[in-house]
Amino acid sequence: MRQTLRVNVFRQSLILSGLFVLGLLALNLAVFRPGTVAVVMLSGLYQGMLFFLIAAGMSIVFGLLDVLNLAQGAFFMLGAYAGFAIYGALPAGTPIEVRFLAALVGATLTGGLAGALMEIGLLRPLYARPVYQIVMTLGLSTAINEVVRAIYGPAGLVPIEEPPALATTFNILGGQFETYRLFIIFVGAALMVGISLLLQRTRLGIIIRAGVQDSEMVQALGINVRRIFTLVFALGTAVAALGGMTAAPFLGAYPGMGTDFLLVAIIVIVIGGMSSYEGTAIASLLVGLTRATAEQVSLQYFNTPILASVSILLFMVAVLLVRPTGLFGRE
Amino acid sequence: MSAILEVQDIHTFIGQFHILEGVTVEVPDNSITALLGRNGAGKTTTLRSIMGLNPPARGAIRYRGRAISGRKPYDIAQLGIGYVPDYRAIFRQLTVEENLKIAERRPGDLAGKRQFIFEIFPDLEKLYQWPGGQLSGGQQQMLAIARALVADNNLLLIDEPSEGLAPVIIEAMMAAIRRLTAHVAVLLVEQNFRVASQLADRYVIIEDGKSVHSGLMTDLLASPALIQKYLSAA
Amino acid sequence: MPQPSRSANLIWLGLLAAAVLIPYLFGALTGQPEAGLSGLAAWRSAAADAYCARGVTPLVWLHVGGVAGLAALTLAGRRLGALGAALAGARGWYLAALAALIALPFLTAAVTDSSACSRGQAFFWQAIFVDVFILAILAISYNLMFGFVGVVSFGHAAFFGLGAYSVGLLMEHLAWPWWGAVLGSLAISVVIALIKGFVGLRIRGLYFALFTLAFAQVFFLLAGNRLLVDITGAEDGFTFAVPDFLNMTRNRLFFYYLGLAAMVFAFLVVQQLMRSPTGRVLVAVRDNEGRAQMLGYNTFHFKLIAIILAGVLAGGAGVLRGLALKGASPEVLGLDFTMTPLIMTLVGGQATFAGPVLGAFGLHLLEDFLRDTVVTVAGVSINIGERWALILGVIFILIVIVFPYGIVGTVQNQWRKRRARRASTPS
Repeated sequence: MRQTLRVNVFRQSLILSGLFVLGLLALNLAVFRPGTVAVVMLSGLYQGMLFFLIAAGMSIVFGLLDVLNLAQGAFFMLGAYAGFAIYGALPAGTPIEVRFLAALVGATLTGGLAGALMEIGLLRPLYARPVYQIVMTLGLSTAINEVVRAIYGPAGLVPIEEPPALATTFNILGGQFETYRLFIIFVGAALMVGISLLLQRTRLGIIIRAGVQDSEMVQALGINVRRIFTLVFALGTAVAALGGMTAAPFLGAYPGMGTDFLLVAIIVIVIGGMSSYEGTAIASLLVGLTRATAEQVSLQYFNTPILASVSILLFMVAVLLVRPTGLFGRE
Repeated sequence: MSAILEVQDIHTFIGQFHILEGVTVEVPDNSITALLGRNGAGKTTTLRSIMGLNPPARGAIRYRGRAISGRKPYDIAQLGIGYVPDYRAIFRQLTVEENLKIAERRPGDLAGKRQFIFEIFPDLEKLYQWPGGQLSGGQQQMLAIARALVADNNLLLIDEPSEGLAPVIIEAMMAAIRRLTAHVAVLLVEQNFRVASQLADRYVIIEDGKSVHSGLMTDLLASPALIQKYLSAA
Repeated sequence: MPQPSRSANLIWLGLLAAAVLIPYLFGALTGQPEAGLSGLAAWRSAAADAYCARGVTPLVWLHVGGVAGLAALTLAGRRLGALGAALAGARGWYLAALAALIALPFLTAAVTDSSACSRGQAFFWQAIFVDVFILAILAISYNLMFGFVGVVSFGHAAFFGLGAYSVGLLMEHLAWPWWGAVLGSLAISVVIALIKGFVGLRIRGLYFALFTLAFAQVFFLLAGNRLLVDITGAEDGFTFAVPDFLNMTRNRLFFYYLGLAAMVFAFLVVQQLMRSPTGRVLVAVRDNEGRAQMLGYNTFHFKLIAIILAGVLAGGAGVLRGLALKGASPEVLGLDFTMTPLIMTLVGGQATFAGPVLGAFGLHLLEDFLRDTVVTVAGVSINIGERWALILGVIFILIVIVFPYGIVGTVQNQWRKRRARRASTPS
């Protein structure tokens, strides 16, 4: 039966991913000191989490709406800037923790609202023409970039302060790792689990999973898919904005930050399989670990971080040749 | 007997193709009406037009007296119409329970109907947590019909329920459909004339996108000339 | 539309030859040759004298008359029998447009009272139009692959950029002659196209498009990387020497006509291909590959042909760009040069012949005209030149909503509907 074949492919990809991670670990251990290995692995995880925050929305939206939202990078950036604005807008004397929390929440809400507006206003008229939609999201991405550039200028903003509790570094196996990046890993993991629970346990989740397979039938069952589309799109952009804000304390906020992450997010969803949530989650970690390893290797031996970007591009090409629809993709 | 569904002279285009060129169908309450005709005549398109998935360009569709053509599929479904497409449209990644739950229109719909559904389709009870994609063809068909029963529907549009099913399963399915007519009206598209003739009270024949003949099934069975003319293999 | 008759074709070719040759001959006859020259050298010197003249000259009037005449003939078309048949359809307009482009350097020279051959306004505008021609070729090539055959690619810049880089690298580092470098670059385009084509056999749809994106990005990163700085010059790119006659600073007018000829060539190649039986198969493959396969066509071969041709045209555009700028830098491999032809094609009209050309002309000229304008909106002053990406995005959104099939495409659709309606109403 076809279903069992699919389960086998799923299990195979899972095993492949596990083996790949072990392989990376082995490579690390062979080439670096234990302290560096630990730092690289953790670095891979936190980078992976940031990629996940952008890619998750992209892949679910693609599965449900058949739209590749290339503006996710711009929402990532928007989140960082919105967070900055809120952080600075609170009255003097507000403790950093409160500012930080308000910035996180505010950025997420801003991203969600902007996403909803974008979906209703600009994407709906173009539903029948996917290539136009992709170019439209790209156009919007540029528009958002330019608007931000016009308001805040082309240079980035100085990174905001994180709460003192998180502003420490800790020692692991001889290497130093910042606690804040550990915080990012936790935020990412929490969202991974949270979204998974949403998809598996709630009615909205059932509708989304059904809609990804057959949105027409979902309509025929009496469910207003248009509203669901807008909601899901907005959730995707909200999570991306949250990602941008969590990255703000060490990345700062600059107009190009979205584009840098966008390409990686695309690679993540292609490797994972474009409409598969589990695929996106797993692939984001794989890509993060690969990138961190390659970056360290590249710096150590070539004095330039170029291998980081090239490695994940090659990773994507390799996966596509073996699995033309991504590791966990369907059809 | 009042008509729960009135389709009046609808014309439907798919892209630039003029698929339906004047289809008129009347479905009385609490009965089964069969849409008959050769392959490609436009039977599936008729159901899709009623459901709003391919809205008609001309003509009127009235459900319980209210005009529904031109409305969105989800609005039409909410009025109490259940749709079972010819490709079954089971959500393969969802369990049987989830497939049924998604059809709820009010919370608690499924809880109220579960016993009834298990009575008509006993297999579904033991398959309740299985993913839809692991069910056999016949079980999927049962699930597709059961799904249309979860919410309070008064009209079911069923497309080719017997397609690809073993004869034993077909018998079970026909028994199930017959049990339903106490509560709902059914508009049935069925290529298998034996099944159609045994289930339906009335018929409408569609040929080349036009409705050409209609009446009581008993009358049709008594005129082999008509059957030969419209329903024999081309 | 009925195929034009033999005589109509001959007349059209005659008009084309006239549009090209008459101005040149006129210039040679009316110009003053340099003292002491004779024969062919004198002839050429006289021509150069005529068309390098400043301001309004008899040559300019000839050109204006020619263009106007062709336009008038096209409008009067139907009533002129064989002549009308020759100019039927869009052919008359294409011819008039071509004549206008041939005349353009002299027209701008006349309008700006400068010379078409030395530094000045007219000289400046020729460079801009060379850019437009190059972008038009790029758009035409993209339209072939995407509009006519339905192969979505986000990595077209790879062909373009590699064309620019290889022509320079072959001349500079391997000391190849210019014609070797050009041919070599085109050969490289073929190889890249073959790679993409064979990979595309396994990978479909959006995945393929993203694969092409990654493919182009790899080259972009490699070109800009310091590891290869000795060869490629990294982020700053590198410059190379070009033979005199291809030097745009010295022989810009020649380069202008070279670019124009290349664009016309690309246009004709695609047009003739799409009107041939092969073209019909390509469209069938785009519309329903499964059915085309069932009819017995090896769709892979056909798609490969399209990709190779599109790749060579794009590579050729890249070669022109490299020669024009006498250098190459990583931006030619960047996403910009993939998105630009895509947007130009969509705005102009995909799967039409004139669409990508119109898109290229319209958008690039608009960008240049507005380069230094500053607009104030709600207290924020926007320098259009700097924010062109934003303006382009807005233009794209507006155009796509009003013209769902691009400008040319939507207009053609309306014409067809109107003609069908007229045909179906009983007279």
